[in-house]
Amino acid sequence: MNMYLHELKAYRRSTIIWTVSVVALMVFFMSLYPGLTKDADQFKKLLQAYPEGVRKALGISLDSITSLLGFYSYTFSYVVLCGSIQAMNLGTSILSKEVREKTADFLLTKPITRSQIVTAKLLAVVTSLLMTNIIYIAAACITAAAVSEKAVDFHTFLLISVTAFFVEFMFVALGIFISAAASKIKSVLSLSLGVVFGLYIINLFSSALGEKVVRYLSPFKYYDTAYIMKHSSYETSFIIIEVVFIIAAIAASFMIYSKKDIHAV
Amino acid sequence: MNVIELNNLTKTYGEARGISNISFNVEEGEIFGFIGPNGAGKSTTIRTLLSLIYPTSGSATIFGKDTVKFAPEIKKEIGYLPSEVFYYDNMKVKDLLKYSASFYKKDCSKRIKELAEIMDLDLNKKIDDLSFGNKKKVGIVQGLLHQPKLIILDEPTSGLDPLMQQKFFDLLKEESQKGATILFSSHILSEVQRLCDRVAIIKEGKLIKLEKISTLKENNHKKFKLETNAQSDQFNLPGVTNIEVKDNHLSFLYSGNINVILKKLSEIQLTNLWIEEPDLEEIFMHYYEKE
Repeated sequence: MNMYLHELKAYRRSTIIWTVSVVALMVFFMSLYPGLTKDADQFKKLLQAYPEGVRKALGISLDSITSLLGFYSYTFSYVVLCGSIQAMNLGTSILSKEVREKTADFLLTKPITRSQIVTAKLLAVVTSLLMTNIIYIAAACITAAAVSEKAVDFHTFLLISVTAFFVEFMFVALGIFISAAASKIKSVLSLSLGVVFGLYIINLFSSALGEKVVRYLSPFKYYDTAYIMKHSSYETSFIIIEVVFIIAAIAASFMIYSKKDIHAV
Repeated sequence: MNVIELNNLTKTYGEARGISNISFNVEEGEIFGFIGPNGAGKSTTIRTLLSLIYPTSGSATIFGKDTVKFAPEIKKEIGYLPSEVFYYDNMKVKDLLKYSASFYKKDCSKRIKELAEIMDLDLNKKIDDLSFGNKKKVGIVQGLLHQPKLIILDEPTSGLDPLMQQKFFDLLKEESQKGATILFSSHILSEVQRLCDRVAIIKEGKLIKLEKISTLKENNHKKFKLETNAQSDQFNLPGVTNIEVKDNHLSFLYSGNINVILKKLSEIQLTNLWIEEPDLEEIFMHYYEKE
């Protein structure tokens, strides 16, 4: 419990900054929505001028872009991107932070098992992400209600918004696995930016190429907003893949870390 | 009773560094010195004992329990001070020590205050703002605050001024009198001589000698350096080793009755004379020659 609270406190500042950032991003995009609906036809014409490939790559669908949910899910992809960077950062930090800040000797000579350390840190990271998401979703609901003239379909709205956390959790799992397997990570930020943007670009290409294989590679495509809007549910196969991936990555991290040599600095 | 037992402890990293087949015991209540030059394997041995790294072969027990299997249990009674201390920079000293104490199921607040007072440590400062020596003090308080039965110190005195070193040694002696066992690693022989009952000497990953400090002191070596035109064969006396001649400088190690060698020196025309404590490396050379 002491470790969990300590970690939570250590992440407090970055959590606040990330939360404020994603909320600000969402508010900025959504504030454009009332203007867009006024000139909906003109806007659609403008978008039609773009080649289809570009539209697909950007995740713009002509049928839905002028509806509130359609516009929101377009902007939401950027929120997920930001959240994923935060998640990957946190996940990678779990095990590499102590080595980099040279505090590993402090923690690992205390009367606790290494599994307890990973558990406490993982819980703190998940808590930080949950807090960001809860505040974000609350802010998003209020903003949506404020900018929409019609009643908002909050059920679908929430279904879409919650997927940010699902995607982020995969990045936490990936991050912790990388930090357990790597001997030393010098810069967490460049690593997480690289991985997240890499997968995001794959996702852009998959939309443009329409390839199904690529969809399984990039977490960003696991929760397709178009599918959610149509069916008001998620695709089961991707939920299963996500759960299996997370369990496997975290279990492997626990095992690797328990056997790992912690070298002097 | 043995508090620490090492049985052929081996740790290899690839081919180069590491330790091989180290065996020795540390008895209860003993202050045990562990000396060797930098890179000899002192830290590797200590880190293996603390299961920060795992042995390649061999094993070690602390309080009669295997260090790998029972690591968390053993560590309840271990206080550890690493050679280089780094702590969570944005914390206050007080908060860090409280955090450290929270891992042990006892109230340590009184002991923290006592130790901080002895070591002259300001509890309200941020760790980030502390000098190297003051960080070291935080490390000392952190290692002792839960009144451990076994104190493991890895080159603890670097960065401490002589006054603080003295206070720290007094503190360790006090803990020892209360029954604590102390494993003290250092590359400074005089430090170990001042404090320890027995020493293990390690070099290039191998244990070369296990000796009582009192025995070491008996064959106490002095290093003589003379500026003279005298020939080196004039010093073929019992107790003289490692004779070296360079231009008109002549140096050797001597152990034995100091009066005998002084009498000899008085017969020779000297321009200058230095008598020094030999450094550790020279002692090692000496041990190698004996083997």
